[in-house]
This record gives sequence, C-alpha cells and structure tokens, in this order.
Amino acid sequence: MESVFNDFKRAIEAGDGYGVAATISPVPPPSDPGRLYSFHRSTNSYSVQTDFRYAIVYNNDIQLNKMEGNSWVDVFVAYWKAIGELLLAEEVTNQGKSSQAPWGRVYEAWKEMATVLLRGYTGLIFPAWTVPCLYVAGKYLRVFAIKADEQAAQSNGKVTFNAGFQDDIVSSMGKNETLEDAARQINRIFAACISDRAPLEESRKWALYYITNLLFKTYFKASHPGNLSKNVLRSLQASQADIPPLEAFPKAHQVTFKYYAGVVAFLEEDYARAEEHLTEAYRLCHKEAQKNRELILTYLIPCHLLTTHTLPTQALLAPYPRLQRHFTPLATCIKRGDLAGFDAALHAGEAEFVKRRIYLTLERGRDIALRNLLRRVFIAGGFEPAKEGEERKVRRTRVPIAEFAAAIRLGSGGVGMDMDEVECMVANCIYKNLMKGYIARERGIVVLSKGGQAFPGTGV
Amino acid sequence: MYATTVPWRQSAEIAVMHPSPAFTTVPARRKFAPPEPSPAPSQPKAPTKKVDWPQAVREYVQRSFAPDAAVAGIDREEIEKVLKKVITEAAERDALVSTNWEAMPLPQQIIHTERARMAMPVAAATEPWRRDTTPDRHVALAGYSNGDSSKKRKSADTVMSDADDDSIPPWRKANPRNVFEDRITYANQGQADRVEKRQKRKLDDLAKGTSKYQENLEKRKQRFENGKPGNRSPQSLHHSQDGSPFDVNEGPIIGTCQDLEKRYFRLTSAPKPETVRPLHILEQTLDLLKKKWKKESNYTYICDQFKSLRQDLTVQHIKNEFTVNAYEIHARIALEKGDLGEYNQCQTQLRALYSQKLGGHPAEFLAYRILYFIYTCNRTDMNDILADLTPTDKQQPAVKHALDVRSALALGNYHRFFRLYLETPNMGAYLMDMFIARERVAALANICKAYKPDVKIRFLTEELGFESDQDCVQFLCDHGAQGLLEDRTDSVVFQTGKAGLLFENAKNAAFRKVDIKGQI
Repeated sequence: MESVFNDFKRAIEAGDGYGVAATISPVPPPSDPGRLYSFHRSTNSYSVQTDFRYAIVYNNDIQLNKMEGNSWVDVFVAYWKAIGELLLAEEVTNQGKSSQAPWGRVYEAWKEMATVLLRGYTGLIFPAWTVPCLYVAGKYLRVFAIKADEQAAQSNGKVTFNAGFQDDIVSSMGKNETLEDAARQINRIFAACISDRAPLEESRKWALYYITNLLFKTYFKASHPGNLSKNVLRSLQASQADIPPLEAFPKAHQVTFKYYAGVVAFLEEDYARAEEHLTEAYRLCHKEAQKNRELILTYLIPCHLLTTHTLPTQALLAPYPRLQRHFTPLATCIKRGDLAGFDAALHAGEAEFVKRRIYLTLERGRDIALRNLLRRVFIAGGFEPAKEGEERKVRRTRVPIAEFAAAIRLGSGGVGMDMDEVECMVANCIYKNLMKGYIARERGIVVLSKGGQAFPGTGV
Repeated sequence: MYATTVPWRQSAEIAVMHPSPAFTTVPARRKFAPPEPSPAPSQPKAPTKKVDWPQAVREYVQRSFAPDAAVAGIDREEIEKVLKKVITEAAERDALVSTNWEAMPLPQQIIHTERARMAMPVAAATEPWRRDTTPDRHVALAGYSNGDSSKKRKSADTVMSDADDDSIPPWRKANPRNVFEDRITYANQGQADRVEKRQKRKLDDLAKGTSKYQENLEKRKQRFENGKPGNRSPQSLHHSQDGSPFDVNEGPIIGTCQDLEKRYFRLTSAPKPETVRPLHILEQTLDLLKKKWKKESNYTYICDQFKSLRQDLTVQHIKNEFTVNAYEIHARIALEKGDLGEYNQCQTQLRALYSQKLGGHPAEFLAYRILYFIYTCNRTDMNDILADLTPTDKQQPAVKHALDVRSALALGNYHRFFRLYLETPNMGAYLMDMFIARERVAALANICKAYKPDVKIRFLTEELGFESDQDCVQFLCDHGAQGLLEDRTDSVVFQTGKAGLLFENAKNAAFRKVDIKGQI
C-alpha cells in the first residue's frame, strides 16, 4: 500500500499524469513484481475505505482538496477490489484451470473502477492532466473483456437461448458480448472527453485520439469495424474546429489514428483516401516499430496495387518475412500474367488474407494479372507492315480473339475457356479502363487503340 | 449488457462493488474468494436456532456447501432456501433422526432435478437417488416445484445440459447436444424432412427427400436403442397440473393447448399453458401447415401460423431437430415468397441452432447465407463468412456453388455468373432472382462499353441467361433502350456502340442501396 501511495504522492506533486496512471495499473512495475499482491494484502474489505482515506485525505504530504482526495479514495477502493478479482483469476489460471477463471468478475470490477474514475472527470474534480488514468482504465477494460469472452465461450458455448417470452428461440449469438459492453464504456469515456468545454490548456480533449484509437481497436476486435468506427470519425469531424490539430498530439496517437482511419476507408473501398491515410501513418511511424510498419503495409500494399497498379519491391518487403511470404508469389504472378499461379497464391494465403480483411481486395489483383497477359499478346503481335513514307512503326492493333484465348489457356495452366468467356474477360478489361479498344464480335477481333494508349499507363 | 454475467454472479457482484455501508457486512461473508486466495468455506447458519442438530444433519449441511458439490447455475441463496425447507420439514415431521441423511439428495440436486423436470414436459426424470426414498419424501420433494427456489433461473441452457449428470459441469461437456432428444417421440418422423418445393425443383427434392428419410429412420432407431429406460416414465408434472399462472422466471412453460392452429400474437406477458401447444401437437401442426401451404399457398396465413409455432417452441424451450425443421421450412417458404425479412430472422435462428448440432441442413442454408450477402453487397459480413468456412464446408456442392457465384461476380465474369445461375441448387435461385436483374444491368454496362458497333440479341440472351429473345428485348426496352434495337434481315441487333452511359447509370442506381430488412 505504501509504495503505491508514495508513487501517487510523488506523481501528484510533480503533475505527472502518466505517473498517476501507473498507480492504478493492473500490471505491476517490472521492478516490483509482487506489488499488486502486497497492495491487496495490505488491507481488507472492512477497513479498505478507512485505510485509503488515511493514506490520501488525511495525509498532510499530499496536497489535495478534500473533494478530490475523497474521489481518489473511491477510485483506489474500486481499484483494490478489482485487483482482488484479478489476483484470484490469475491464480485460478495458474492452477491450470483457465476455463474457470472468473474473468467476467474481473471485468465487472474493473468497469466499476472505470466508472468511479470517469465520475471524477465528469464531476470536474480531477484535473485534465491526469487523463492518462483514463487511458489505463480504457485499455484494460478491453483486455479484461476479451479474456472474459474467451472464458465464457469456453464454458458456455457461443449461443444464448431465450428464457423469456420472446418470439424466437435464440436470443443472441455474440462471441463478444463483454467486449461490446467494453466498447460502450470506452465510448462513454470518449463522450466525456469530446464534450469537455474547458479551455484547451486544461481540456480532456487531449485524450481524444488515444481514446479514439482504443475504440477502433475494440470495434475491430468485436468484428464490426465499419459502421461504429465511422460514427466515431464523424463525431471527431463534427467538432474538428474545437479540437487541437492532429499534429499537436503525441506521434504515437497520430500514427495509430492514421492507421485506423486508413483501414476504415480501405474497408469501405475508398482506396484513394485509404492510401492517403496509410501513407501518412507509414511516414510517421517509428522506423524501428517493425510490427506496426508491417501492419500498415498489409493494407497499404493492396491499396497501392489497386490505385496505381504497382507492385511492392523486394527491398520494401525484405524486412517483413510474413509480408514477403504472402505478397511475393502474388506479385510475381501478377507481373507474369500467370492466372493459374495467381489463383493458387491467393488460395494459399486465403486464411491470412481473410483474417486481415484484404482477401476481397487482393482478389481484384487478378484484373491486373489478366491485363498483363493480354498486353503480352499485344506486344507479341508485333507491328503492322510498314507503309510507305511512314517512319514510326505502328503496332498491330487488330488482334483476333483467338490469340487472347490461346494466351488465357496458357496463363491458366492449359485450362481453356470458351470464346464467349474470353470475350467477357476482354470486355472486363476494356470496361475497367485497363485496355483501350473495342470488341468487334462479328469479325472475331479486338480493335485496340492506336498511338501507344492500348494499355494505359504501361507504355504501349 | 449483462447478458454474459450469469445471474448467480451478478448478485454477488453488486454486493462486492458498492461500498455503501448497507452492504459492508454482507460482502465480507458472501464473497467466495478474496481477500484470501483460498478461503475456508464459511459454515452456513443452521435454519433455526436453539436446536441441537443431529450429527447427520450437520454433515448434510456441510456437504451441501462443500465447494466440490457446487453446481453451476445454482447460487448459494437458492441452496440455503431449499436446505432450510428440507430440514424444516423433516423437523416438523419429527424425522430429523430417522431420516437417512446420507441418502438425502443435496439441495443443488433437488433444484437441479426440479429444473430439469420443468424443462421437460413429457417425461419426469427418475434420478438414481429417488429409488430408495420413502414415499413421503417424494411428497416433500415435489413440494419444491411450487416453491420459489428456482426463481432465479434465467437460462434454459444450464437446465438442458445439466439434466442428466450432475457431476459433470456444463463447460466440461464436449458436445452440448440436447440431452432430451432421445426422450422425444416423433409421431410422424418421415414428414420431418420432406418439404414442399415448387415446380421446377420438385424432382431434385424428391430424390433428396428419400435419402433423408432413410437417414432419419436410422437415427430414430439409434435413439430407441440408446435411450435410457429410466428417462421414459411418462409422469405428469406437479406444477403444471394445478394450473397455477406461469411465472417467466420459473422456467419453461408446458403447454396444454390441443388446437392445431393458432393465430400469432406478440407476447407482452407470460403466456398461459392452455394457450400453448406441446411438442406432439406442434408436430401435427407442422404437418397440417405443410399440407395447407401445398394446397392453398396463402402466405399471410402460413407466415402467421409459423410465427405462432416458433413462439410456442420458444416459450417451452424446445430446441431439437423439430425446431430446426420448423425454422428451415419457414425460411424456405419465406424465401419462395421473397419475404426477406422473415427469411432473415429464420436464417439467424438457424445459424445458432446449427451451431448446437441439432441436425437439419446447414450446408444448404450456409449457401443461402452467402448468396444473401452477395445480394446485400455486405463486404464485412462476406469476409466474416469466408473466415468461418471450414474445408468441409467448401466441399459441399451448394456452398461451392455460392462461392463460385461470389467469385464470378467479384471478377466481373458475367459469362460464368449466368451459367451458375442456371444451375443453382436447392432454392438458391429465389435468392439469386433478387439480384439477377441488377447483375444483368451491370453486365450490359460492361458490354455496351466493350462491344462495337453492335451485338446480336441472341448473344445477349445466351450470355445474360434470359429465357428467350423476347425476354431479352423486353428487358432492354424496360431500361429505355428500345431506340437502340435494329431489325436486320437475319436477326435483331442491339447497338451497343450508341448506348453510351444508359446502362452505366442504370447500374449505379441499381447498386446504390439495398434494402436489408430484419438483418442482424
């Protein structure tokens, strides 16, 4: 108990928000691994209130007004209870009975702590510089909720059935009910921050991006990233004028925010905006944060493939073996116009791609592979017989469908397509502006654009 | 938001969390573990004071609260109540010493059995401990069914899965199958899987129906062989006989209604047993509904009837193959009539029921689900569904077909898409009908840009899966392309080169918004 309150005192005196936050962390500092345990042992549920009051309010060393002191007492009492539940859950887990560990109770106790803490802010009792406490509260709401859901899934199965007089038998099939509750709690914190009317110097608005990022993280884990994340972005947008510019926030907050904003746009298929955000995130990201850079590239590469039809270089992928493993085969096949190879590579990485939600985007890379294949036909077609008086050689722009069909058969590893389907593929390329020209069906030929624009952006 | 917090925990939670003085004495005793890692189980208070309890009674009380006797879903309060009742009654009968306390079931077992019996209308479970009990104990035990001992009961789950074996906690059971399945007698099993389908799909289904029929006969035989004789004593239940008004919190209702048909009303309070049909009646109801649907095809009537059927199943907590069957049939009928809202509700329910492995046709409905997400253009859900697919799922012909449809559309391969449309298994074509027009417009936008100067109508008819050239021309005219048709000597051609943005705009309009009714 003493070490906790000594730290608390020191942090309060120094005005160190992260220091205060560290005293309500559910993870002991590395220098003192037994701290939570001894903290919890230092008092009991009967005298915890009094003990803490003595340590905070009646302690002449800590200069807090009475109201603030009392609020901190409430926070620490709730924290003490949560720690009790946490230690118990960890103990059960350590005994190898992880399926029985009461993480649900840990979550509820932590939620109570978060509520008491938040009340201190909404009641204008805690100063804004202590907002890192909210970070800790929110962060572990999510962590404990995930554990509680895992535990619930292990013991109850996923389905809840109705016991009341509803019409249908199943009431819910949520895998993540606790996590969704956590998202609501974090949203409350978000609301408390965004609605703060205090002048900027002492505003909780400085917590906004951290909390927003936490919300994104929670929504993504709860597997409905789209709509809810958009709502958050929208409310940030709406009060843009009152919020300090993003650049004024810590870099870590900026990078994470840009990353999630990019991924949200990516999932909405707004690849241009996604690329903008992700590029920014990549630029700001610390160069040694390999894992984060890898995450950013996971979305930035497919984005880039679709917007500019360019493939990642080996130099870019080299530091990330996972990306290399998944993207290199795809890139090679796209370059070569190897349709069968592309399908195989996509299939091989399917589990990973689906998990990252990039499968449906990468699938479109097949268009580029096809374009490259058709382009080779065009180049292999050579030039028109030179006409008199013309210096420049002109490529043969009338290509029989049968030649494309042969190429597709080669590209698909010998599996043929009927002519109508080949036409359909060519039509797609034309429709998507990957190829300029038209199909003259009656004559069985494709008439391509003259003047070096048949395959826009590729030099021919 | 508290749905995951099981009720017995919640109460303790509240006590723990609120530091108000009123609670301070309670949590100290009620909390199971903290602050000490391994707390000694606190001794329960004996129900009445100043009596010198016999050692056997004390031991019985101790056993009741022993940590290893704890059963999930039963909290301490309930145990205390039942314990008190058991001992008080023994005391009143002056049987404190004469009762064989060793053989007396623990309170949690009593609660358990009581719940199990409430959950199961037809057969009263004969538990091993009942065999050597005296008749008057039966009376004493039966008395609990009307007591408030099980007021807390919220989830049907615990009841269903715990009923057979107290010693195995629910989370240890590998497969949360409905343990009552083997107690249910299907009056007419063969009907269970035959479903009326419409004209063109009839032949397919007949073939499938017979094999299904065989399969079910097999299953049924197995059920009879494995069924424990002890589970089959058809005793009517104490608490449903006295006709006392049903309390929602008390557990599933046991219906007594004998009418086959019933209008649907949304419940605003607990239903009366006499308005609810028990399972064997519902089975006949389903039969009747199937016949009526075949004969009259009155969808308003059928939908209403199915909703009341579903409601009756729900209030009685019936989750078995019959439930799956009823939902499947309703889903198919809704699909056929294009009632996507109702279909979707059934689909959601079915997904959960399939996860319980209660039988039915998971592959067929998984395929519908994929097609449905194609229709709604829901990329997030489509991604989730792809993530959840197992290799076995992908082998199923219907699922494979749906996945091929998805990939064809994703790649803009309308040629393949319309081939797949023509060979859709089961009732998937009803779903595909929902977006076939949209995809035709999209394909036409494509064709208009790529083909010049014109294409034959015959080509469009074949590529876009129209039934005839007339249908194709009609479709073009409906989209304002009548001016672009040209009669030639041998055929009619469509002047794609002059169509411009006509179909491009139509396509954008068609994809703009999809109405998703009742989707979860």
